[in-house]
Amino acid sequence: MSATKVAARAHEPFVRIIKKDTISRGRAYMIRALALLASLVAGALLLLALGHNPLPVYRDMVIGAFGSAFVTKETVRIAIPLLIAGLGVALAFKMRFWNIGAEGQILMGAVCATYFALYQYQTLPQALLLIVMALAAMAGGAIWGLIPALFKARWNTNETLFTLMFNYIALECVRFLQYGPWIDPKQRGFPKIAMFEPAARLPKVFDVHIGWIVAVVLVALVYLYLTKSKQGYEITVVGESIPTARYAGMSVSRVFLRTMVISGALCGLTGYLVVAGANYTLSESTAGGVGFTAITVAWLSNLNPIVMVIVAVFIAMLQRGSNTIQTTFKIPLAAADVLTGLILFFMLGCEFFLNYALVIRDGKEKPNE
Amino acid sequence: MKKAITLVLMAALMLSLAACSSGGDGKAEAVTKDNLKVGVVHIMDLGDQGYTYNHDQGAKKMIAELGLREDQYIPKFNINDTDVAATNAAINELVNEGCQIIFATSFSYGTQVVEAAKAQPGVVFCHATGSDAHFNDLTNLHNYFAKIHQARYLAGIAAGLKTENNHLGYVAAFPYAEVISGYTAFFLGAKSVNPDVYMDVMYADTWGDALKEREIAEALLNRGCDVISQHSDSVSPALAAEAAGKWHVGYNNDMAPAAPNASLISARIDWGIYMTYAVKALLEGQTISVDWGEGLETGAAYLSPLNTAIAAPGTQEAIDAAAARIISGDLKIFSGALKDASGNPAVITNWDGSEVLFTFENENSVFLESDEISAPAFNAIIDGINIVS
Repeated sequence: MSATKVAARAHEPFVRIIKKDTISRGRAYMIRALALLASLVAGALLLLALGHNPLPVYRDMVIGAFGSAFVTKETVRIAIPLLIAGLGVALAFKMRFWNIGAEGQILMGAVCATYFALYQYQTLPQALLLIVMALAAMAGGAIWGLIPALFKARWNTNETLFTLMFNYIALECVRFLQYGPWIDPKQRGFPKIAMFEPAARLPKVFDVHIGWIVAVVLVALVYLYLTKSKQGYEITVVGESIPTARYAGMSVSRVFLRTMVISGALCGLTGYLVVAGANYTLSESTAGGVGFTAITVAWLSNLNPIVMVIVAVFIAMLQRGSNTIQTTFKIPLAAADVLTGLILFFMLGCEFFLNYALVIRDGKEKPNE
Repeated sequence: MKKAITLVLMAALMLSLAACSSGGDGKAEAVTKDNLKVGVVHIMDLGDQGYTYNHDQGAKKMIAELGLREDQYIPKFNINDTDVAATNAAINELVNEGCQIIFATSFSYGTQVVEAAKAQPGVVFCHATGSDAHFNDLTNLHNYFAKIHQARYLAGIAAGLKTENNHLGYVAAFPYAEVISGYTAFFLGAKSVNPDVYMDVMYADTWGDALKEREIAEALLNRGCDVISQHSDSVSPALAAEAAGKWHVGYNNDMAPAAPNASLISARIDWGIYMTYAVKALLEGQTISVDWGEGLETGAAYLSPLNTAIAAPGTQEAIDAAAARIISGDLKIFSGALKDASGNPAVITNWDGSEVLFTFENENSVFLESDEISAPAFNAIIDGINIVS
């Protein structure tokens, strides 16, 4: 080590962050496993502080999610919208378009589907009604996704803010309908939208609404679209470098628009499945944060559709588990939220250690692996 | 290859869980004190120190009075009443766990409770504050509430005597009869001892959201209200009054321990009376009434102890006198020539205002609240009450 290098190191911060070149698959899994373990330890400290033995609490979280056929079906029901909305936002993220408007796209999809469920259920046969509802929902979500993309393509507006603000507009639209034109007279003045007629409800397959089959099919389709199709390749190139995409003769704005239509349509479809498959009505909490959790699903899976299945089920398990321990251990909602938040924080945080290494000053220089 | 395996595994997972479905249908077993399970769907958890805390106290009282084991009460906490799927899931879980009787504590669970009662004729459903039982032929669906407007009227007396500028405020959940009935009773109680009072009402559009309730309470205090009350689930409006050095009249729980310098008195419901009645009826094979709503006479609606350190002198005496007249039937809360803001006789209408159900024509007009249907019906906005939007 030369003298100048030593002198330079004296001015270095105590901890330096350096980019790792590559990381082996096995090592990546090990880091993730360690993160999960660390999150469970941190959660255990929280539970101990609340006066609970952590092990039975963790055990009950798993039992609450998979302990019986009944609760497993509930877990799957929660996972379905997370997965499909996750697929939707992942498409946008892949081209570095920050669509955080899934919540609004879900709601607009749900609004469009609800219109047909409430007012056209007598005019169409059930199968056709359900298909029309699905198409309307996809159109609604697509338009809600397309508008920010148009502005981005034309005037280079900030899509993060744009899509975020669109969530609130969508929510206010739902509130307007709920408090006004679509209020259910049977509630005698209470602001609620009526339950769908049986004709407008999705059938169940193996006792979970048919949306789970839609989800599995969409996972395969999105995976193929991203990896095998020309359009999927364009998304990747635009995401990596817009100048490169331009140089290769791609129309960047067309990729933006096309992808956001698909992304919004998937989110709109999510809204349809929630209203027609699970809730049988539209309400302010139809999206219920799914659009934001979907962002976590997408990034925890590194935008890989196949991995997203596991992550969506995992997050659904955390939600179910958190619900269970509130009942069995009387753990307050806020504490249960902190616990699940801790676990997700560690899981997302470990992505940092997959890409960067910490080097401590005066320690031996670590060889890059 | 790995991906193919993952796909197969996922498909296997989904199919396996679907395959082992169903169960929990054959429940012909008679209900006994030993196998009884009581489920309760709560909108928040005990941390609200208000509505859910109070309802949970009722369930615990029922367990104690009937000599049941603690594990025979199965609560589901934090079931958001606007989240239909979560509501359905909670009800289904309770049915699945073998509950023979299920209490649903929030109004907005109504549609889901009706659907569940249709789907599960063997389970008894009791829904607080709703009115669906009256309008359905389901024998296993019941509604319950208490004549809380009586207690609110009495609590209003404490507010009317305490206020220094005659400006009251009210954190209200929804523009809905149950809420309007409550704040009007509170206002009339205050007015009975202080004819100069007027009141601002602000809606939260939620039954319970501690942050939002507090924001609205602060807005009312900033408008100059010096005594506020609430129809919302948490204790946060009392805390806002405490922080502002103003006064507060609570609901559900006794809010004086949380806000000792602000909370004058709280209007409370003893849910234990109904829950004991209903569960006992189920055990003894008796019919549970379609609608149940008792008031001051049985203690189903009652008041927390008056905070004498801060209440105006003579408050207790005034409350006691009015309470005696309510119990004896001399004093009906919604009676007389009530007027609306433009000076016309106040009217109670059906929900969309298309049909007048009752008019307060003269001094002899009496509207019997929560009489046939336990859910309140009084929905007139009377003179002196100002809805702030």
